[in-house]
Amino acid sequence: MTATEQVAPPVTGEPIVRVEDLTISYRTGSYRTGRRDVPVVKGVSLVLRPGRVLGLVGESGSGKSTLARTLLAQLRPGSRVVGGSVVVDGNDVFALTPAARRELRGGTAALVAQNAGQALTPSMRVGRQIAEALESHGLDAGAERVLELARHVRLPDPEQLVRRYPHQLSGGQQQRVAIAMAIAARPRVLVLDEPTTALDVITQHAILRLIKGLADELDMAVLLVSHDLGVVSAMSDETAVMTDGRIVEQQPARDLFAAPRHEYTRSLLAASPARLRPAAVVNEPVADEQQEIVVRAENLVVRHHRSLAPAVSDVSFTIGAQETLALVGESGSGKSTIAAALAGLVPVESGRLDLTSPDGASDLRTSPTRDLTRTATSRDTQTLRAVQLMFQNADTSLNPRRSIGSAIARPLKRFAGRHPRAGVGQLLAEVGLPPAFASRLPAQLSGGQRQRVGIARALAAGPRLIIADEITTALDVRVQAEVLELLRTLKDEQQLSCLLISHDLAVVRSVADRVAVLNAGRIVEIGTAEQVFTGPNHPYTRQLIDATLEPGAEGLDEAVEQVAWRDAGDGWIDAGDGHHIRRWEQG
Amino acid sequence: MTTTPDGRSSLRGALGGALGGALRGSPTLVVGLALVTLHVLLALTAPWTTGHDPVVTDSGDVLSGPTAAHWLGTDQYGRDILSRVLHGGRYALAVTGLATTVAVAAGTVIGCFTAYADNWLDEVVMRVMDALLSIPTVLALLVVVTVLDPDLWVVVLAITVVYTPAVTRVVRGAARAVITQDYVTAARARGERAPSIVFREILPNVLDVVLVELAMRASWVVLLVATLSFLGFGANPPTPDWGLMVEENRTALTVVPLGTIAPVVALATLVVGLNLSADGLSKRLGVDRAQQGAAA
Repeated sequence: MTATEQVAPPVTGEPIVRVEDLTISYRTGSYRTGRRDVPVVKGVSLVLRPGRVLGLVGESGSGKSTLARTLLAQLRPGSRVVGGSVVVDGNDVFALTPAARRELRGGTAALVAQNAGQALTPSMRVGRQIAEALESHGLDAGAERVLELARHVRLPDPEQLVRRYPHQLSGGQQQRVAIAMAIAARPRVLVLDEPTTALDVITQHAILRLIKGLADELDMAVLLVSHDLGVVSAMSDETAVMTDGRIVEQQPARDLFAAPRHEYTRSLLAASPARLRPAAVVNEPVADEQQEIVVRAENLVVRHHRSLAPAVSDVSFTIGAQETLALVGESGSGKSTIAAALAGLVPVESGRLDLTSPDGASDLRTSPTRDLTRTATSRDTQTLRAVQLMFQNADTSLNPRRSIGSAIARPLKRFAGRHPRAGVGQLLAEVGLPPAFASRLPAQLSGGQRQRVGIARALAAGPRLIIADEITTALDVRVQAEVLELLRTLKDEQQLSCLLISHDLAVVRSVADRVAVLNAGRIVEIGTAEQVFTGPNHPYTRQLIDATLEPGAEGLDEAVEQVAWRDAGDGWIDAGDGHHIRRWEQG
Repeated sequence: MTTTPDGRSSLRGALGGALGGALRGSPTLVVGLALVTLHVLLALTAPWTTGHDPVVTDSGDVLSGPTAAHWLGTDQYGRDILSRVLHGGRYALAVTGLATTVAVAAGTVIGCFTAYADNWLDEVVMRVMDALLSIPTVLALLVVVTVLDPDLWVVVLAITVVYTPAVTRVVRGAARAVITQDYVTAARARGERAPSIVFREILPNVLDVVLVELAMRASWVVLLVATLSFLGFGANPPTPDWGLMVEENRTALTVVPLGTIAPVVALATLVVGLNLSADGLSKRLGVDRAQQGAAA
């Protein structure tokens, strides 16, 4: 609808952004330790052309966000441009007057950040916020124009939606609003800083397709910053790889992913979970009938509040000894609720949830099964010990005021009866950390190291089942590979069962033995990893698999978001060998 | 965030780390704490430094201006004003120290526990606190002190009851943010009891808020104590007390202005010192970071 009103600029291919030999340093240290300038961007050059997408990949700390934000003349406090220039639309952005800079931001170049929930003002209706983006550039901010923008980013039911507050929108809708604000003043350059990292795969797919469509339609030059190789691969025309403040390789995306030239690029690609899949070791089916069951869930129903629909309804599964069961599904599908029920953090409304004792349990007078529908406060020590949790966010999973040593010593003391001091050192060694780390505080560790401490803390109790809730989501791809490898090794050594929760199907495929796919609190498909990934599938599973972007992906498939299905009552299709698919009908 | 290098990061470690880190490079905090420390030292050493008994009257030397014997002059009963000002800090600081510590400690523990309970108990306790908060402070204190004696302990108890609800509210808010963190979830999944979770996991992480509360409440309590004395419900004559001195000497304001000005200056510097401390602490510890919405 807007294609006609828009003045189509001639596609010249002339660069709109020119970054030349840019060097930025960051001042660090204090009066005591002495100040030093640490270069974070070192002599980087790149160009952006209208209608083209440049993908910028790199691990955290590589300087990619710092570089991206210079396009809006934005620098973190403490950092400064040491050399080089950033020219946007003919102007050196760091030579602009404050007024001209304000005009640049949102006018010529616009930014969409990772977390739209934080980018929007919570107390203001979203329509008002879109209007503000227009007003700040002296444009017509009438209701009709706001609605037009909302329609432009394909917000559902725009008339209603613009009257809502940000918290009433889903993550994907919030990101669409942020995009609407970014394109309000028809910028010529769009900077996207991890725009879909916080979203699940299906929503991510839709947002990326929207961005790609807008870039073409409005002929914008796009800089896409991401640590996700799949996203960059699918979106960008050209891809630059950044590490340690330098661009080490820049090629057309197709060539880069097919034949990476630089060693660092190769190591990144090798670490991506899609390529982690070991040839034969994992995924070998265990003899089903004989397999010892560790956890059995039957018709499990969990409700967070009486007035709410159940978060988990009628879920049945088993986890065998030494088996990894993965729960996949988009956010809100009930994955984490099942984990919380297993850990005794939320009460179970109905159904059974049992932990079976190991063979040859020393105390035969007690029942061979333990009831996991009890909450943690009413479980006995042996049950508490048997189920251990690992968390997604390494930043919040450790008490910032307690040392690593005391975090690990606590479960040791409570459950294992081992001498804490010796045990802590041993556990740290097991997860590949020096024993001296025991005296450090979490803030002194990197994200990957903290996640290792999380593993050590879970193992300290001597569990039978570990619950890993999105443990690698916040990690860089190479660190993620290391953590997954460590988890796999320890699981085999200590003969643990594992409930793995992840929205990243590539991770699931690389480590899980069996997979259960959840949608709206119900399992729609369950089977071995091999069965689920090869099909036949429930349409929802198919949608999840198709929406997953792996390095080397080219473009985005429109069909992914247009799958429609309805539950066909109860009943399952038995696809053989324990592969069950819930019946559905085309909707 | 401030960190301690050593691993004994218990409550003490957290407290030391918070304070140590805060002192570095914050002129506001250094000036504030210096003022407060000076007041405490002067009050403690007053009996040996002044050379005059603060309550001894001298009918031959009333309402004198500053002289060599009486640097700040004497009041209408011939008592040395300097001596009375220096001694006057003792009562104010004793009441403030006791009342603030007890109120903040009680508020902290109640706030953490109710935040953790998050059930009907939380509701009941917080509604009681709301009810207490709705009573005007000075009025409540006047009633208590009138009914009972204006004894030091009665005043301390009354101030504690009046200030605990406000502290509870603030600490509960901070604790609720801590409770959502995964390390608290981990402790719950280990089946830890409530006291263990509150004292090991929650309390060390709200200590920064508690420190700021302590400094800020103290400055209010100092003023409140002076107000009570001024109204005649605090310290009994002839106890040297700033509020009481202002009340006694204000009629002679034109004759010996120092009799009124000196205690007011003393009171003002203490309050400013406490306020600067609170301000410096909250800036250095980042207690207002929640309001700024900055992601850690």
